[in-house]
Amino acid sequence: MNKQIVQIKAMSKAFPTGEGEFLALKDINLSFESGEFSGIVGPSGSGKTTLLNIIGSLDVQSGGEVCVLGHQVKELSARESAALRSQKIGFIFQTYNLLPVYTVFENVEFPLLLLKMTKAEREQAVLKALDWLGLSDKQKSRPAQLSGGQCQRVAIARAMVKNPALVLADEPTANLDTENSLHILDSMQKLNRELGTTFIFSTHDQKVINYLRRVIRLVDGRVESDDLQAGV
Amino acid sequence: MAGWKAMIFKLAFKNILGYGWRSLINVFIIALVLIGLIWMEGMWFSWLNLAKTQSTQWEFGGGLLRVKSYDPYDVFALEHSHAPIPAQAGNLVASGEIVPVLFSPAVIYPGGRMQNAVVKGIPSQQSLLRFPSQALMPTEANPYPAIVGKTMAKSAQLQEGDAFTIRVKDSSGAFNAVDLQISQIMDCPVPSLDQGTVWMDLQALQDLKQLPGMATTLALRDQSLASVASPEFKLIPPNEFFADLNQMVKTKASGQASLFVMMIFLAMLAIFDTQALAIFKRRREIGMLSALGMTKARIILLFTTEGALYMLGATVLTAVMGFPLFWYFARIGFSLPKGYDSFGVAGFNEALKFVYPLPLILFTLMLMFLLTVFVSWLPARKIARLMPTEALRGK
Repeated sequence: MNKQIVQIKAMSKAFPTGEGEFLALKDINLSFESGEFSGIVGPSGSGKTTLLNIIGSLDVQSGGEVCVLGHQVKELSARESAALRSQKIGFIFQTYNLLPVYTVFENVEFPLLLLKMTKAEREQAVLKALDWLGLSDKQKSRPAQLSGGQCQRVAIARAMVKNPALVLADEPTANLDTENSLHILDSMQKLNRELGTTFIFSTHDQKVINYLRRVIRLVDGRVESDDLQAGV
Repeated sequence: MAGWKAMIFKLAFKNILGYGWRSLINVFIIALVLIGLIWMEGMWFSWLNLAKTQSTQWEFGGGLLRVKSYDPYDVFALEHSHAPIPAQAGNLVASGEIVPVLFSPAVIYPGGRMQNAVVKGIPSQQSLLRFPSQALMPTEANPYPAIVGKTMAKSAQLQEGDAFTIRVKDSSGAFNAVDLQISQIMDCPVPSLDQGTVWMDLQALQDLKQLPGMATTLALRDQSLASVASPEFKLIPPNEFFADLNQMVKTKASGQASLFVMMIFLAMLAIFDTQALAIFKRRREIGMLSALGMTKARIILLFTTEGALYMLGATVLTAVMGFPLFWYFARIGFSLPKGYDSFGVAGFNEALKFVYPLPLILFTLMLMFLLTVFVSWLPARKIARLMPTEALRGK
């Protein structure tokens, strides 16, 4: 039986507004096991990114419990949550968020610099990640010299290079055409299968949804359905 | 250097390069301010140095004993500001180790006009001070030679060879007069030795005043000779002797300080503006760095390092751009326009060759460095209040 790496119990999230507060997430109860390839889907404003941010300890819930990789998110200090992110969680963003002044190699190496790794270890890990994503010939290029698909592959390599337990991908294909989207999804699926890395997506892209083994549908901040997809 | 520190330095450096012209302008502005500050510091320091050197060479010697009754700010005290040259100093005066100078109020009559003056007697054979006292040696043709400075010569309309009457009150209260003849008009860098002053041989003045063996000041070859002083004399320490000069430099320098502050303020404003703008434009990057596990302290350090690197670049540019200027003023010097030598302070009659005070320059660089780091840190600390989720959304 796979280990549970995320447990969410009766979780809610409210944002203050001028007139009071807006409840973005209501009574969320979910759990994710290691090796999952799951997605939180739903229309814009349904709370997908907010949920993903809380799982990634970028934000904290207003109520309930969220336990990620054995850590209660709400009890973590800023330094502890930064350490959790740097060691065990990889992020992939819609807009890639690569450092424009760094080369591909340096961008992928960046998360490893926050860990205690030797230069040789870092180099080995970066080259391996670039090889996995088919970017070995681009390691000296800068983001401005790459296509959108290549940039997103660099972002995936950056998320994967530290071999995280959990990768959170927020609308990873939103800025990509179909061909690049499928290429990216194939890459992530391969990483999930071969390395056993847990992927949680936030998306409303049907192409992504087709790849997911588990689809959690959010509507107005509530879990409407939580289904396994047969045949994926 | 630990991996993350090297990474912050590298990222800061690359970001600065990435800013292109904006970085260059910032570095250029700081370098200009630094050049201006170093130039001004060099000017004040060199001028003070030159003025002190000239005053030492012409008046102060290695130390100065002065009669206690002398008050440089009370003209009426001058008549009685003298005391016997201490007996122990006799041999030292004869060997030129101590130079006695006698002061007296006088009235001179150049070209029939009447003018108040101070007459000072100095041994004509002395060589301790740079003063050209050999020209006071009496000759058959000129038994009472006198020296005046250029400013005095101009105000009294005197030229070399001119004769004029001088009248002083002697020790018994009677007025004595003698005809002096100008043997030299000296180019004296110390205005207090020039303006309103007539110089004559000490012996001749002592005779005229009927004050044998009396002096107002004793210039010493070195301060250790001060032990010869009698109770009527007191040792004037350099800080007291140069008090007026130091005060004047202080006053002038504090006036310049407002200009310094304004220049530094403009440079810091440029850095602050760039960093504030960078933080505004790089919110997503800040959010991403946070998502990747960078602590807020490290993110703040990144922006602060960028500011420090501006200063580092400016220091290098200052050396490159400022060197020709600094070299020119050190070698060729800075000549003040004519007329400044009548300003009343030493150090204005010759080209001022700059000497750059290293401790002061290092202090200025350190101050600028700290200020640059501070104004970079100011906008960066806002990051501490920025939620990563908001930063990622570009809010």
